[in-house]
This record gives sequence, C-alpha cells and structure tokens, in this order.
Amino acid sequence: MKKADVATRKAFSQRMLEYGEMDKHFVVFEADIGYSTYSYLFGEKYPERYFNMGIAESNTMGAAAGMAADGRTVIACSYGVFITMRAIETVRTFICYPNLNVKFLSSHGGITAAIDGVTHQATEDIAFMTTLPNMKVLVPADTIAAKKCFDLAIKTSGPVFIRLMRDPLFDVYDPDEEFLLGGSKILEKGNDITIVSYGDIIFQALESSAMLKKEGISAEIIDMYSVKPFDYQTLINSISKTGALLVVENHQKRNGLGYELSNFCLKNYPVLFDNMGLDDTFAESGKYDLVIEKYGISANHIAKKAMEIINKRK
Amino acid sequence: MLTTSKTLDERAKNLKTIAREVRLNIIDMIYTAQSGHPGGALSAADIVTALYFDIMKFDPKNLKWPDRDRFILSKGHACPVWYACLAMKGAFPMKELKTLRQLNSILQGHPDKLKTPGVDMTTGSLGQGLSIGVGMALEGKLEKKNYHVFIVLGDGELNEGMIWEAAASAHKYHLDNLIAIVDRNHLQMDGFTEEVMPMEPINKKFQAFNWEVITIDGHNMKEILLALEKALTIKKRPICIIANTVKGKCVDFMENIREWHGLAPNEEQYKKAVECIRKGEQE
Ligand SMILES: Cc1ncc(C[n+]2csc(CCOP(=O)(O)OP(=O)(O)O)c2C)c(N)n1
Ligand SMILES: [Mg+2]
Repeated sequence: MKKADVATRKAFSQRMLEYGEMDKHFVVFEADIGYSTYSYLFGEKYPERYFNMGIAESNTMGAAAGMAADGRTVIACSYGVFITMRAIETVRTFICYPNLNVKFLSSHGGITAAIDGVTHQATEDIAFMTTLPNMKVLVPADTIAAKKCFDLAIKTSGPVFIRLMRDPLFDVYDPDEEFLLGGSKILEKGNDITIVSYGDIIFQALESSAMLKKEGISAEIIDMYSVKPFDYQTLINSISKTGALLVVENHQKRNGLGYELSNFCLKNYPVLFDNMGLDDTFAESGKYDLVIEKYGISANHIAKKAMEIINKRK
Repeated sequence: MLTTSKTLDERAKNLKTIAREVRLNIIDMIYTAQSGHPGGALSAADIVTALYFDIMKFDPKNLKWPDRDRFILSKGHACPVWYACLAMKGAFPMKELKTLRQLNSILQGHPDKLKTPGVDMTTGSLGQGLSIGVGMALEGKLEKKNYHVFIVLGDGELNEGMIWEAAASAHKYHLDNLIAIVDRNHLQMDGFTEEVMPMEPINKKFQAFNWEVITIDGHNMKEILLALEKALTIKKRPICIIANTVKGKCVDFMENIREWHGLAPNEEQYKKAVECIRKGEQE
C-alpha cells in the first residue's frame, strides 16, 4: 500500500481519455464540474464528443438518455449527490427502466468530500443506485481499479454507476490485476473474521487488520469493488471459514452493502454479523481523517468492532 | 433598517469601508481553512454588505425575530461572505471565522441552518434557493408579515430548471416581497457562462416571467442601495436585480480567473490579496 498520486476521479477520467482513442463511439456528458471530475481532459481532445450541459443535472441525465436511446454509450459525469438524488427519477425512469448504456462517473462518493460538508457528501448513493433495477454499481479503491472499472463499465451493457473519490488516498493493485462484474479481491487472508468493505474504507480495513494482528486475530479483508452484483461465492467461502462477518462502508449504515450482505447471510449462511457506517446521521465539514474518526468508520473503530464480534463467539 | 438621516453618499462611503473589511475576512477565512471559494464570495461582497449593514431588518440579538427580513445565499459555496457579515454584525463571535470548514465548526463548507446562528436556510446544492425564497415569501403573506426575502443567485446557477419553475410560481402569487439578486460575474465552474451555457438575455427571461427587472453595477454602492430601495417599493411583482460584478473583485490576480472559483491562496498569494484589498482604501 503506497500513497496514491491521483484520486480515483482523475484516474477514471484519464482512462476515459485514453479509451476515447480506441473507441470512437462513446460520448461524454458533463454538468459544469468538468474541472473537478476531470472530464475536461476528454472534452479538450474530443470537443465534438463532449457535451457540457451547465449546472443542470436533470437535463444532463435526460439528454444522456436521449443520446443513448439508439444504443450509443454515454458517460454522464457529476457529483454523487447530484446524480443519485437531484436527478434520480430521470435516471430511474429514462435510463434504468429502458436499460440504456449510460455509465455514471460519480465523484465525491461518501464523505471523501469531507471538507465541503454534507451538501457534497454522497452518503446515500449506494442505497439509491443499488435499489434501481438494471443498475450495476462499481467502487474502485485505487488508481488501477478506477481505470479497470472504466473498461468494465464500457463493456457491461446497461447502466453502470461508478463511485469515485475526491482526494488521492492509497494504491494497492498491480497493473495486470483483473476486475470483473460480480468480482471481488481478497486483500488479506485470515481465519478469525471476514471484513468486507469497498472504496476508501478498504484502506481503513487494512490498517485495522494490522491492529488486530497484534491482538492475535487474523482478519480476512475483502474489497467488494463490485457492489452490485456482489461476489457471493467469495463471501460464502470466506465466512464459512471465519464464521463472522463485519461490513464497513463510507455510507449510511442503512440500506448499503451491509444491509445487502446481512440479508444474504440470513437467508443462506447465518454467521456472527455487524455493519458499520453513518449511523442515521449526516456528517459535517472537516479533514477526511478526522471526519471518518468522529463518525466511526476509521481503522480504530473497525478493529474494536471486530474484537467485539469475536468475543461474542467465546 | 434604512438610515435615512444620512445622505446616500455617506451611506455608500461607509458601506464601502465595511465591504473592505468583509473581503479581508473572506480571504483570511479561506486562507486559514486552505479550502473554499474566494471568487464568488468576493463578487457578492458589496451586495451582501449593503443588505446586512443598511437595507435589511436584522437584529443580531434576536436572530429569530419573526419580522426580520430573510436572506438566502442560494449560491451557498460563497458562504464566507455571509459568515463574515454575520460575525461582523455580532450574530456570533469573530473568532469563529478561523474555524471555517474544520471539524466541529459552526461554519460548514456550505451554509447549515442548524449549525450557524443567523443562517435561515441550508444551501450548497445550486438552483434551489429561489424555490425556498418563494416558500418564505408565501409564508410571509400568509402570516401578514411585512418582511422581504432577499436571495443571492449565481449566474451559472441560473442554468438549473428549478430556478425557472420558481420564477413562474413567484409571478403566480404576485410575490412583491421576493427580491432576487443575480451575481452576474460571467463565470461558473467550467468557464465563462456564455460558453458553458448561454443564458442571455437574462433580463428578458425574468421579464417574460412577469418579474420587475433592475440592472446595476454590483460594485457601485450607490447603485446597489438605490436598486434595493426601489425594489422595496414595487407592488404585485417579484423583483430581480441583475448585478453586474467581477468574480474575485478587489484581488487583482483573482479577478475574472476561472481557477479562483474554488481555490485557497497560499501564503504569498494571501499576503498579496490582503495588500490588494487594503490598497482600495486609498482610492
Ligand atoms: C446542483 C449543483 N450542481 C453543481 C454544483 C457544483 N458547483 C459549485 S459552485 C459551481 C459554479 C457556480 O457558478 P455560479 O452560480 O456562477 O456562482 P459564482 O460564479 O458566483 O461562484 C458549481 C457547478 C453544486 N454546488 N450544486
Ligand atoms: Mg458566476
């Protein structure tokens, strides 16, 4: 794990620019935050395939749907809060319902936009997007994953939502790593508890694993980058070994991946379980590290919760 | 409240001095936080100063006074201008300004009704403040109150369809207690407004929605005061003041530069900015 040079939002857009050379068919829609999503990189090189609709997210998604109606692939860019909440009914009824090839570059996922405050923190996006039929949801954690998720989104038919981060954190993946729809990555092997996360919180989970090791606990850390559909086979294999599952996410605790996996386990493979996220609250402005600490999703909190779960077994 | 005993010249001169102080506070806050949006805060500084220090009924000792005028900063990212005015009026201690955007601060990255004394409505997601203003104006009519609702809108923000939905409804209910001020600084995030999304003619658009439209120089205090006073006398129609401004006004290296929309100055730039604003004093 080393410090990342670029945020996933930028890595994704860099790949979009590269890919534009090989695939001349797709177009990009932006809503006046091109210098923040980095879609401007594509716009500068391919002005005729770049449509900046201004500060008008519903219109942007509607126009994206129209352009995709005859099969064209459209990448629609904005912040998570605006794609998933401002324009959600357009996304639902005109993109998901007709199952169009619109891929969403969604920046500022979770409280990675910590400093900007609640209005820019997409902490309910996973709930909204995973609930929409036909929508698939990917959350790359690092530079390589972000680039691979671009390719994966383009190759996957129908709408795909890609949650990206505002700031650079860490890099964990090698360039030849493969990313699949419905795939996941086991980042650390362990026997005592399975910790599942995605995006930025994967780095907190890895840090918590180091803390747990000191207590003699070995945690299996899974990066569930494909949030929908998720990799149930890897999950089953892991929890049948560890007998305990902790899901941690930079999202509301309610209706995120935690709820999804608890439901899955209850039906198929009940194990000791807990999940962590924002506990029915909005967060606030502040430095990222301090905000995730205060709102209970940092490595410290994860390690503590993992111990609690394991202690229940004894 | 209107300070009618003073001449227009005296009021304008006094407000200009205050506006300089407001700008210094804006730069200081964003520099201290190393995060925030200087451009749009500086362009709106003269307008917000005139509202808080001359025009609006506002009592810092009684922030929930039912008869107070309402203020909505629809372009919420410019909130350092609002926070500076509120602190200088005494709504909360000046030292809070140093905590902008930090954990546990009362001053969030975008305005938060529950955290900041004097903030009547949360904003930060663009294009929705005018609808909130329509609701507040309707509430004022229903309660037979005489207050006015002042809303500062960004020009890029006018791209949002909801603005025009609000414009139609303000006309339907003859909301003469609703005064929208467009901070016409010609820039939005991705560039010049007329390149990103051409909205001209803005005055004719509002006129077509049956609004009264007044166009002014948004940095000329006398024009600002006269326009706001005229707006207060208009009956049966909502009012839109189009204030022509300069994004980054008074900090020469920020003026009309897209990059300064959402960038914090470094130490050297901070010193230069303070110098620029101070230099205005001699003019
Ligand atoms: C609904 C919504 N979309 C996008 C943004 C991101 N954003 C913040 S400021 C800004 C540009 C605003 O331009 P303008 O309204 O002209 O404000 P000003 O120039 O006065 O800063 C954008 C796109 C937002 N805050 N809200
Ligand atoms: Mg503007």
